[in-house]
Amino acid sequence: MEFAPICVYLVISLLFSLILIGVSFLFASSSSLAYPEKLSAHECGFDPFDDARSRFDIRFYLVSILFIIFDLEVTFLFPWAVSLNKIGLFGFWSMIVFLLILTIGFLYEWKKGALDWE
Amino acid sequence: MFEHDFLGLFPEIFLINATIILLIYGVVFSTSKKYDYPPLVCNVSWLGLLSVLITILLVAAGTPLTVANLFYNNLIIDNFTYFCQIFLLLSTASTIVMCLGYFKEESLNAFESIVLILLSTCSMLFMISAYDLIAMYLAIELQSLCFYVIAASKRDSEFSTEAGLKYFILGAFSSGILLFGCSMIYGFTGVTNFEELAKIFTGYEITLFGAQSSGIFMGILFIAVGFLFKITAVPFHMWAPDVYEGSPTLVTAFFSIAPKISILANMVRVFMYSFYDPTWQQLFFFCSIASMILGALAAMAQNKVKRLLAYSSIGHVGYLFIGFSCGTIEGIQSLLIGVFIYVLMTINVFAIVLALRQNRFKYIADLGASAKTNPISAITLSITMFPYAGIPPLAGFRSKFYLFFAALGCGAYLLALIGVITSVISRFYYIRFVKIMYFDTPKTWILYKPMDREKSLLLAITLFLITFLFLYPSPLFLVTHQMALSLCL
Repeated sequence: MEFAPICVYLVISLLFSLILIGVSFLFASSSSLAYPEKLSAHECGFDPFDDARSRFDIRFYLVSILFIIFDLEVTFLFPWAVSLNKIGLFGFWSMIVFLLILTIGFLYEWKKGALDWE
Repeated sequence: MFEHDFLGLFPEIFLINATIILLIYGVVFSTSKKYDYPPLVCNVSWLGLLSVLITILLVAAGTPLTVANLFYNNLIIDNFTYFCQIFLLLSTASTIVMCLGYFKEESLNAFESIVLILLSTCSMLFMISAYDLIAMYLAIELQSLCFYVIAASKRDSEFSTEAGLKYFILGAFSSGILLFGCSMIYGFTGVTNFEELAKIFTGYEITLFGAQSSGIFMGILFIAVGFLFKITAVPFHMWAPDVYEGSPTLVTAFFSIAPKISILANMVRVFMYSFYDPTWQQLFFFCSIASMILGALAAMAQNKVKRLLAYSSIGHVGYLFIGFSCGTIEGIQSLLIGVFIYVLMTINVFAIVLALRQNRFKYIADLGASAKTNPISAITLSITMFPYAGIPPLAGFRSKFYLFFAALGCGAYLLALIGVITSVISRFYYIRFVKIMYFDTPKTWILYKPMDREKSLLLAITLFLITFLFLYPSPLFLVTHQMALSLCL
């Protein structure tokens, strides 16, 4: 039931942002309509030197995959953190084993050099 | 829990720890400047072989428990899992033995593939002993995830990448089907444990149009389809030839040996123990016939070795399913004998295929005149092809004979008939190897490097076993009978 205010809040913020976008359309002067220079890509005053379809750096993929893995780790940590006083020492150590395995994966990627950007 | 659960799981715990240590060892030293960035793959594979052998010892000798349910009924240990696990670990060890020379010649520098093989072995150990739908699914997924990665491990080869992608997509699809089946079963019964499911399904008439059981029927159907995908039975076999051909040969060997054992063990556990019911038998009946026919006919048209072996493994799955669709103790026993002998033969064939690697051994015609250039490996390959074809008195004949015998015993005459006909047809292409090696003279003579000692030892042992098994087969029969009994009683 607590989600009802959030839904209302979502709708209101959507409306508010639409209003903010729309106001500038209302008051902008239409004298400076689009001319070719204004529509061209901003490349510090020059024309683009080469094709925009450049090779994509694999490190972005690596970072996003690592994010997914450690994001999942956090998902597992939340219920553990909340119920830590009920599950006792056994629950604590189970999670430590889980974290240890993840840490070994992390160590692997660190030594492999997946994390350095240079 | 600490008294016996962790003790019963000791081999798995050891194998996981060994894998982790190998991973850290490999990554630390292969990136160290001090040692000039050594390629550690041979080193890690020897250590991996050692840890698999120690795990075999732990499984074989160290078990204090003959029958136990571990971790809140998620896992089980009994005679069936005991022998299956030992057998699986032996086949993994022989795959690693096969690959010792492979990495050196291929100059593949990824020690991670050994780590992944160990990790998937561990998940297959869990798969064999899984006793709950969730544990089963998790083990299958861990195994498949490792397989997707090693299928695509050769990054500079388009075929390997394609094989990995294909395997991933179809594997994920089949896992989805399997998971949907599990959720149907859970939704209509409210339990996931195999024992509870067995209790529910005892004497339960599962029909598609029954008021109570149509959902259960669909669940069983989906689980069966998921499994049939994984084991490459015929209507769901499309990915297998491409994946087998594309992925590196070592990986192909591993794919066609190890998961067959674990998935069949798991299937037997699920379908013979939990869902023991004639409804699904017709499905396996159909798949068995279709796989035998397709395996026999499609392999005839193949010119490439690995593709031919893929189709022949599809055909062999069909023969194994004969034992499965009977549903009797003799059926399960003959299935287990069949798996054992199939794995022995496949290890042998792939060891030779891996040994003859000079000049990219790809087509069968490349074997031409190898009776003159490599006489001993030629005669080994021909002897291996005879039991594959099922020629008496070699081991493959025994396994097929017992499978057909079980089919006749339970009244499945059609299965036995088609099995006999297709195995006669498949004799054509198995014997073709012999013809090419002994009687063809190719234009270009290909000289192969001599194989290394590990591979030749492995070849000698497996060849001895498949040739002389008929002299003293009683231990195998006793063991498989005990496995079948521990499953059914």
